[in-house]
Formats: sequence, structure tokens, C-alpha cells
Amino acid sequence: MKWSRLIIPLPALAGLLISVWMNSGAVAAPILRINIDIGTVMLFLGIFVSILAWLAAYSFNWTKSIRVVAANDAAKDRRRFLQRLDHELKNPLTAILAGLANLSVGGSATNQNASLISVEAQVKRLRDLVADLRKMADLETREIERETVDLTLLIGGVVGLITESADLEGRKLLTSIPQAPWPLPKIQGDWDLLFLALHNLIENSIKFTAPEDTIEVRALEDNSDVVIEVADTGPGIPEDEVGEVWDELFRGKGARGIPGSGLGLALVKAIILRHGGFVNLRSRAGQGTVFSLRLPVPESLRSS
Amino acid sequence: MEKKTKVLLVDDEIAITENLAPFLERAGFSVILASNGEEALEKVSSANPDLLVLDVLMPILDGREVLRQLRKEDEWIPIILLTQVGEASERAMALEEGADDYLNKPFDPHELVARIRAVLRRASLGQPPVSASWKLRSGELTLDRRSRRAYLNEQEINLTPKALALLEYLFTHPDELVSRDRLLDVVWGWDYPVGTRAVDTRIAELRRVLEYDLADPQFIETMAGQGYRFIGSVEVG
Repeated sequence: MKWSRLIIPLPALAGLLISVWMNSGAVAAPILRINIDIGTVMLFLGIFVSILAWLAAYSFNWTKSIRVVAANDAAKDRRRFLQRLDHELKNPLTAILAGLANLSVGGSATNQNASLISVEAQVKRLRDLVADLRKMADLETREIERETVDLTLLIGGVVGLITESADLEGRKLLTSIPQAPWPLPKIQGDWDLLFLALHNLIENSIKFTAPEDTIEVRALEDNSDVVIEVADTGPGIPEDEVGEVWDELFRGKGARGIPGSGLGLALVKAIILRHGGFVNLRSRAGQGTVFSLRLPVPESLRSS
Repeated sequence: MEKKTKVLLVDDEIAITENLAPFLERAGFSVILASNGEEALEKVSSANPDLLVLDVLMPILDGREVLRQLRKEDEWIPIILLTQVGEASERAMALEEGADDYLNKPFDPHELVARIRAVLRRASLGQPPVSASWKLRSGELTLDRRSRRAYLNEQEINLTPKALALLEYLFTHPDELVSRDRLLDVVWGWDYPVGTRAVDTRIAELRRVLEYDLADPQFIETMAGQGYRFIGSVEVG
């Protein structure tokens, strides 16, 4: 498609150049005198109008087909989302039904108690899923606070919180944030949401790595953006799953048996998009993964 | 024997009422049920309950409309709204239209009992229903809930939306110990991994602006390990 966009305006451009060149007086421009009957003029005009009409129809169809593709994509996304939701609900519900069946049979107090505990755990799992779904919906409409956010402080806060918790279990958590020659620029945004995004991202890396792995959180200034990366020495993400990792309720093959709603990274993406930023990831099977968040620095806060 | 507090529980979902009603009765309340707004209005006048637990999304007449009609008729029975979506707008609406408190579904039934007790305590003190007033005053501090502005000594003070929401909740629940988890739910509407630290940050922001002497607060008191309490005396208007 690209080459045609270049070639189509070429004749017009050439005509313009020749016209400018001749009118500049560099050469004595010969003048054509043509006698032409009105019938021939109408013929050429007709052909010209037909070509215009054809072009218009063509481009209209073209945009229409783009719209059809987008609608198909949305329908496919929706179908996939519903399938995943169905899947996420089935397991806890099955466990609850089984637990209730055990309870109704009676049995020893210990067994009944075990059933109750298990049912409660599954109910909590459903509750967490609903809470996360609500967050996703809420994020699309919620008013985003626009305060000045010092990302150096924010990253320090998240890393501090995770280091204090027992989640690391031996994993090395390193941070690298530029101080020289100038510190990371501040951005504008919602401190709590950004905190949540980075927290989710690091927790995700913890989940998919082993205690002997290393996780590195680093930030850098790139033109008018700040890029925050969370890199790990984990198992990496299979190539065919890379595109879906940020999707709602997506659970990769490697995620089986690892608790979670499948909404953690989707929330990260939604938060970063609401801040006018982008998310990305690079991964190599067997070597690890780098998740990156790119956030724009408003003009007023750029270090000049 | 002391008369039991009569709670009118209004929800169209039978699965909820048939589990919640026995729980509330075991907690010491006498419970009557209604399954839509119209029935609720009818029972408020016929059965004379002490408190209303009101679901928002219901057929025929929704909870919001019930709340509005009761308050328009100058009926100040304490009302706890059960909000459905947990959206910030719905939570703000609940307090603005004169609900005494609200809970986001799904909620822990123990939390409902705690809310009922807190609301009843306030009502029994004969305090004016502060949650139904647009303008609140406590000493030099004024809160205009309609325009979402706060003033100290008639000077407007700059607060982030979240700090303002926090102030509004504490202000409309004076002298009540509000847990940090509850405040978290009030301001964000959803649980949050860093949890109650986010609340502490906002409270610190409020105090920096409001208090003259951080060691001797006039408005917001910390109850170590439990939560916060608005200690200024609150007037309406």
C-alpha cells in the first residue's frame, strides 16, 4: 500500500516542477494552440469525473472494510473474554458445589470444617475476581487525578513495600534509577494508580520466577518520555503468547497452578493507557522477560 | 425486656435476604423484608422500622428513588444504601442524597452489622443528619459538598479529590471511629495492595492543610492501630 501513496502524486509533482521551471524564464516556453470541439472536451471531462468517482468509491469501500475488520476484532476479543470468564468461574464453582455436597452428606466435624474452609476459600477467589473486574470497568470511567508524581519516590516506595513483605523469598530485587547528571523527570498522574501498576508488575515477575532468580527495576529518560522496566531472569514467555499477555483474563500455559485472576497485567496496561502511555514486553524463552512502561513527561515538567 | 431494633431490609434478590435476615436477627435485630422500592415505602409507614437497609438496583422503584422520596417528605429514618457497582459516582450520590451510610456489594455481613450499629448510635444521640446537608461547618472549617470545596477561615483550601472525599466521609460521620479499611473502600471503592498506607498518606495531606498543631489535632484524631475519627463538633449550614 505504501508505494502507491508515493507514486500517485508523482505526475502532479512533476507537472508542478516543469511549470515552475518554464515560468521562471529559464527557457522560452513554447505555447500550444489547439483547436478542440466541445464534444471532445466533454469526453475528456466525462472520463476525468468517472475516474474521480471510482477513486471516491474505492476509498469509501476501503475505509468500510477497515471498519469491518475492527468490528470483527472487537467481536473476537469479546468472545475470547467471555470464554475466559466462563473458564475462570467454572473451577471455583465446581469446588463450591463439591464442598456443599460434602457438607450435606454430613460426616465428621473435622471433615465438615474442612469443607467449609474450602468453600470459603473458593468464594473469596470469586470475590477477588469480581473485584478485579470492577477495577477494570472502573478504570475506564474513573477520573484520573493529575498530581505531580515523582517516579523516583514512587519506585522506591513500591520496591520498599515488596522488600518488606515476605513475597521475595530469596529473589534478588535490584533497582537502578538515574541520579546523574539530573534525576528522573517528574510526570503528571495518579500516584495511587501508578503505584498499583508498578506493584502489580513486580508481583507478576515474582510470581513467575523462582527464589534464585533476579528481578531488576530500572528507569530512564527517553526524549519526552520516562520508561520504567521490570526485568527478570525467569522462564520467559513463549512467542505465541507474547501478544496476549496484557489481555484481560489471559492465563498462559506457564501460569497453571499459579494463583491469580489473570487481570493483574491487564490492570497495569489500563492504568498506563489512561496516563497516555504505552506498555511493551520483550522476552526470550529460558532467559527472561523485560516488561516496560512508557509514560509521557508533560512539557512543563521536562528538564531542560 | 428492651425492645429490639427493627430493621427493614429491602432487596429484590431473595438469595440475599434469606441469608442476611437470619444473620441480622442473630445479631439482635428484628428484621422485616421488602423486595422493591414501592413495598419499602409502604412498610416504612405501616411497620415503623428504626432503620432501612436499602439496595439500589431494584425493579418498580429503585433504592435511589426511595431515598429521595423519603427525604423529600422530611422522613429522616436512618438509611444504609447497598450500592451495586462501586463506582465513585454512585458512592458520592449515596451520601449526597441523604443516606446515612452505604456499603459496596459484595460486603461482609459483619461489616453491615457494624454500620447499622454506628448509624443507630449517631441517630440516638439526636444529632442532626449531617449526611443530608450540603454545607457543614466545624469551627473554622467549612465544607460545601455541592461545589466540592473546603474553606478554612473563609479561605478556600486546595485538596486533591481523594483527600476531599476522605474529609467528606469523616466530616459526615463525626465522632465515629472509622477504620482505615473502611476509608480505603470509601475513597477508592476497591481494595488496594498497598492498602491502608494510601489512607495514611491522604490523612497526612489533610492534616498539613487543616491542623495548626499536628501534635494536638482539632479535626482528625488518630486512633492508634484502629483508624481515624473526626473530633470537631459539626454544625449544619
